[in-house]
Amino acid sequence: MAILEIKHVSKFFGGLAANSDVSFEMAQGMIMGLIGPNGAGKTTLFNCITGYYPPSRGEVVFDGRTMNGLQPDAVCKLGMARTWQKVRPLAKMSVVDNVMVGALCRTNSLKKAREMAMEQVRVVRLEHRADFRAGGLPIGERKKLEVARVLATQPKLLLLDEVMGGLNPAESEEIIQLILDIKRLGITQMVIEHDMKAIMRISDRIVVLNSGEKLAEGLPGEVVSNPEVVAAYLGSE
Amino acid sequence: MNASLDNSRGNTTVNVLLGVVVIVMLFLLPKFVESTYALHIMILIFINIVMGSSWNILGGYTGQYSVGHSAYFGMGAYTTMMLMQFRQIPPWYGLWAGMLAALVIALIIGSICFRLRGPYFVLASIAVAEIFRVSALNLKDVTNGAEGILITEIPPLTIGGTVITDFASKVPFYYTGLVFVLLIILATWLVQHSKLGYFFQAIREDQDAAHSLGINLTIYKNAALGISAIFTSLAGSLYALYVGFIDPSTVLSLELSVSIVLICIIGGIGTIFGPVIGALVLVPLSEALRSNLIGESLISSGLVKAESTLGHFLTENLSHAHVLIYGVLVVVVILFMPDGVLGFFKALAAKKRKEAA
Repeated sequence: MAILEIKHVSKFFGGLAANSDVSFEMAQGMIMGLIGPNGAGKTTLFNCITGYYPPSRGEVVFDGRTMNGLQPDAVCKLGMARTWQKVRPLAKMSVVDNVMVGALCRTNSLKKAREMAMEQVRVVRLEHRADFRAGGLPIGERKKLEVARVLATQPKLLLLDEVMGGLNPAESEEIIQLILDIKRLGITQMVIEHDMKAIMRISDRIVVLNSGEKLAEGLPGEVVSNPEVVAAYLGSE
Repeated sequence: MNASLDNSRGNTTVNVLLGVVVIVMLFLLPKFVESTYALHIMILIFINIVMGSSWNILGGYTGQYSVGHSAYFGMGAYTTMMLMQFRQIPPWYGLWAGMLAALVIALIIGSICFRLRGPYFVLASIAVAEIFRVSALNLKDVTNGAEGILITEIPPLTIGGTVITDFASKVPFYYTGLVFVLLIILATWLVQHSKLGYFFQAIREDQDAAHSLGINLTIYKNAALGISAIFTSLAGSLYALYVGFIDPSTVLSLELSVSIVLICIIGGIGTIFGPVIGALVLVPLSEALRSNLIGESLISSGLVKAESTLGHFLTENLSHAHVLIYGVLVVVVILFMPDGVLGFFKALAAKKRKEAA
């Protein structure tokens, strides 16, 4: 059964269609790559899925339940968590406290939350930074913190919005390994990414958006050889 | 590394001991201090600490800068006073009614104003407080309007026939204030060391991130406002009973709302003891300037002759400029100590430790 079904989702801002009639499904445990040129509507789609924007039309079904009308906090509690393209560390709180905020979504005990948080901090290999102020971390570690924090909410489905953006190749490689580790934990992931090499490596399937519409969907190999996709990225002849 | 969340357990025992000593000394103080003026200053400091700490839970921890807290202060003051003067209900019942009224009002205001963020929330909070001020001014039958309410007599507090206190001196107000201060500090500590504190601070740092981590913004912002309003109302009730007179232009004024915020900004927001420091700095400062203590002491000590130009300036001009000086000092503190007095000295201590290491 599909863990996430996106059914004919459209989002209009005034007359502008940021998403128009997008449909696809995700199977349990897979990694779905979501690509497309700037302004294709990738982040808007994330916002529609996670409750930040109500879709203008269409429906998002997660784990057999419709997400329409739910607020982001309710969506998170049901097991769908997202990270942000522009990282949002809770700057004045320590790294472990940041992750504890995520864990407190599942427990009321601070002690339990701290244990759960430390576990995730270890997963992203930030244990040496646990007591640092989150605002003082370099970008690579901020991205990892972002991932640890959402993992602490114990998601079934994780939506990662450009977690490799602005990272150097070594840092990107660490994130790639992290995403593959998360896959091994059985968590389904949807990944927005501009780095084509990375997305080809990690994705089981890829959806291509262009001007708000779904342009193509398929295995990574199929998608890159699709002439329409090539045209969208490089311009047609 | 985070000053606002307790990570260092090393000094806890020392701190607790120090706290106990300070509390015991404060409880014994009226036994040794005869001066009613000193007690007066202490009571004002206590009321200011309760005001500031209450605001701190909403503004300091949750990051929602309300500049309309006079609404809750006035709600406490008016409810207690109206029940006592017009309905003969003793104030120790009245202040509960005041807290309840403030809580109800807070939740109504919160569910409306928390739809707004940042500066828009600030403006809305000011507007709401103004609505209360204008209402109190015009609902003459209920609140006595601009004439205000004057206490004729506080009934003596008796338990089982024995008189605990008749409120004839400043001492009962001193102890009431001290207990309220301990209550709000305890409340702040409990908030900081619970799920609430984490959620409040997450909302302060980044609302959208907090929302995406499963935090219901409406519920937790209203919780912060509710706690804040209850204790602000308590400060209002105590103020009303202590001063013995309230009117809309004192307990519901914008000036009061601003001074509540200032206590926290000067002391340091988002920390348990910030508002305590803020009140300890601002109340004596404002009293010293108001009564021109500096000028008087310079003249009486013989450093400046009263009939000299400087002496004339000190007695005639400076004493009338106390509000101006107060304002300038506040601006200086905000400019040079952006984290408040407490934050400034913490940073200084950290720097010293670093140099020593």
